[in-house]
Amino acid sequence: MGTDTLTYSVSHRTILRYSGKVTLSYNEVRMRPRDRGSQRTLAFSLLSKPWAVPRSRVDYFGNFVHRLDVTTPHNTLELTVEAVVENTEPRRRRLSEWDEHALAGDPRLEFVLPSPRVPLAENTRSLWHAWNGADTSFDSVLATAQRIPRELRYVSGATTVESSIDDLLAGGAGVCQDFTHLFLAMVRGAGWPARYVSGYLGPVDEEKVVEGQSHAWVEVCGSDGRWLGLDPTLGQHVGAHHLRLAVGRDYGDVAPHHGLFFGEATGAPPDVTVRIARMSNQQVDQVERHAAVHWQQQQQQ
Amino acid sequence: MTTEAGTAREIAFGLPPDADECVDLDGVFRPPYAHLLATLERVAATLPQIHRDAQQWFADRGVTFGVPTEGVAPIFPFDPVPRVLSAVEWRSLNRALSQRAMALDLFVSDCYGSQRAIRHGVVPGRLLYSSTGYLRDIVGVRPPRATWCHVSGIDVVRVKGTFHVLEDNVRIPSGMAYALESRRAMESLAPDWFELAPVRPIHGYTGRLRRILQRIAPRQWDADIVVLTPGSYNAAYYEHRLLADEMNATLVEGHELIVVEDEVYRRDAEGVAQHVDVIYSRVNSEWLDPLVFRRDSMLGAPGLIEAWRRGNVAIANAPGTGVADDKVIYPYVPAMIRYYLGEEPLMDNVPTFDLTDERQQAHVVANIGSMVLKPVDTSGGYGIHFGRLMASAERADFLDRVMANPRQWLAQEEVALSRAVCLRASGGFEPRAVDLRPFVLLDERPWIVPGGLTRVAGDPDELVVNSSHGGGSKDTWVLTR
Repeated sequence: MGTDTLTYSVSHRTILRYSGKVTLSYNEVRMRPRDRGSQRTLAFSLLSKPWAVPRSRVDYFGNFVHRLDVTTPHNTLELTVEAVVENTEPRRRRLSEWDEHALAGDPRLEFVLPSPRVPLAENTRSLWHAWNGADTSFDSVLATAQRIPRELRYVSGATTVESSIDDLLAGGAGVCQDFTHLFLAMVRGAGWPARYVSGYLGPVDEEKVVEGQSHAWVEVCGSDGRWLGLDPTLGQHVGAHHLRLAVGRDYGDVAPHHGLFFGEATGAPPDVTVRIARMSNQQVDQVERHAAVHWQQQQQQ
Repeated sequence: MTTEAGTAREIAFGLPPDADECVDLDGVFRPPYAHLLATLERVAATLPQIHRDAQQWFADRGVTFGVPTEGVAPIFPFDPVPRVLSAVEWRSLNRALSQRAMALDLFVSDCYGSQRAIRHGVVPGRLLYSSTGYLRDIVGVRPPRATWCHVSGIDVVRVKGTFHVLEDNVRIPSGMAYALESRRAMESLAPDWFELAPVRPIHGYTGRLRRILQRIAPRQWDADIVVLTPGSYNAAYYEHRLLADEMNATLVEGHELIVVEDEVYRRDAEGVAQHVDVIYSRVNSEWLDPLVFRRDSMLGAPGLIEAWRRGNVAIANAPGTGVADDKVIYPYVPAMIRYYLGEEPLMDNVPTFDLTDERQQAHVVANIGSMVLKPVDTSGGYGIHFGRLMASAERADFLDRVMANPRQWLAQEEVALSRAVCLRASGGFEPRAVDLRPFVLLDERPWIVPGGLTRVAGDPDELVVNSSHGGGSKDTWVLTR
């Protein structure tokens, strides 16, 4: 294990409360961390109450999706994810600009085009222009990521999950989801493929625990086809404490839960608690031993 | 010859010279109409009666098109003078349509596969990735027999004597039931007409369709086939009912389907759950599964797409065919034919321009007077603008609106559609614009019902031929020789 590898235990609990009895509910969950690049999931479990067997698939963007069909009548649905994830700090590379023709025939073209929650409108285009002029180089991309948190205020509760980029610019305040959408619109407007990343932000110090919400940031793609993470909420490169759950064009593609239910009830916004702790090397060893024993047992069965 | 034809025309109907479905560019009667004219001449006096009988016949059988008002859906308008195509004309149409349908099917397959055509620049990626018909959740799925567009309706029009493609419908092409009923009406009301002309039968359509549906079933024996309809408020509900009846399939609405552990079931009349193997879907794929696509949809069943993805149920047309139905893709179909099939297109497009391309856009702006602009996300002939009919101030305003959102519009050169003889309500005849929607069934190789649905404009001055625009239909005859 390298010295710069950080390991986290994540516990992500979602409680969905309904006003009445739900007879049947279908749920799609994107809560399994991605195993790409520097990140690796050592352990993962998804439990639901009432109980349902999760079935998984990989979606268009390469994210893990679990389907849970709950067939027992229920008033509340509780989803609990426990995961152990290790991550190293990605290299801070410089990205080179795309040639327009090369991009036209590349699948990553999709991430330059507007998406449902990231329209490429005049306001974000002129904001880019006001900050960077006509320059669309990587330096301007970086400068924009750093400038967004200086120009806009982070106020939790200032916006909702459904808020638009226009809402953020009008109010001047928002949360990571809004900052991410704004940054996406600006860099896409400048011709860079960029995607939305949902995930968690863990503590840097060992054995420290953070409680809070999920986090979101952006990955920008250079002409070599590799993605670089930039966090427009913190105004910096992503580090080993940025744990990735899912990627997509915008929040709509990565929402951690969406579901459908039958019954005489109405839903409420889910109650979400996320607990992330950085594990000591000793704890990590334990987890790995556990996994090894579990694997052996499976082989013997 | 010209004068003779002119005289015959005058004698028979007093037709104006531009009824060009029956006469060629030299003013000579097209050969297939010779039969018809001889017949019509004889029966001209009885035509109004046949027309009235036909209306009654359609009303009795409940052949309706459109949304019911006060519980009664409007009768599908019908013109008793048939549209005739010669065997030669049909043979070349048949080849061209087969070619096109195969290329469209390969394109859909490619979009949900390796996207070769995008990488090679045959179809611009910006159009695919911005298409509302591109369903990301089904990329990578390979449906049974790798067929996506089991039924396509390719609208063709005759321009200056030659057939051109006007539009491709590969999502849920409708209209075949009206063609079938038009034929039945003529056969029962004017049986003697068919003795004069050797007309190819079309009643094999539903049998063929059923066979295709059976072949894609995951269970080959005893496959349970359903026709999924959005419900009785859909304009084409009559057709859904007729096809279900004739294919011996069950007509269902989305709420009657339930997906359990990725298997699809329906409740039969006794309330017993029956396993469903094949869905002939008349619901747009975006509405099929609220869990995957449109969350607000009440027309589908949650879990349906996952069941399809796992191969537990077959759906025709396969979900996602909307990518080939997107109007902005249409200008690239000839390139697709060359790319996938290595053949030259056998039938031309009406000249059409992609407004997201700068050069094509400039051409459209310079020639706006001869252009027709269509919004891409609507059907039924709504929102169409004719450059010719706009004052210059209006044009400028309109162009601003279009150029602000060029992906939402498609520009086509205005073409004069051929006109066919129709019975005038006040007596006598008049020419009205017609198009033709042949139906291509894709199995191992394409099969096309001889003829298809001929749609006629509502009145002689109407430029849009569409059933949602008050147009009607004609029986379409393809002669055997």
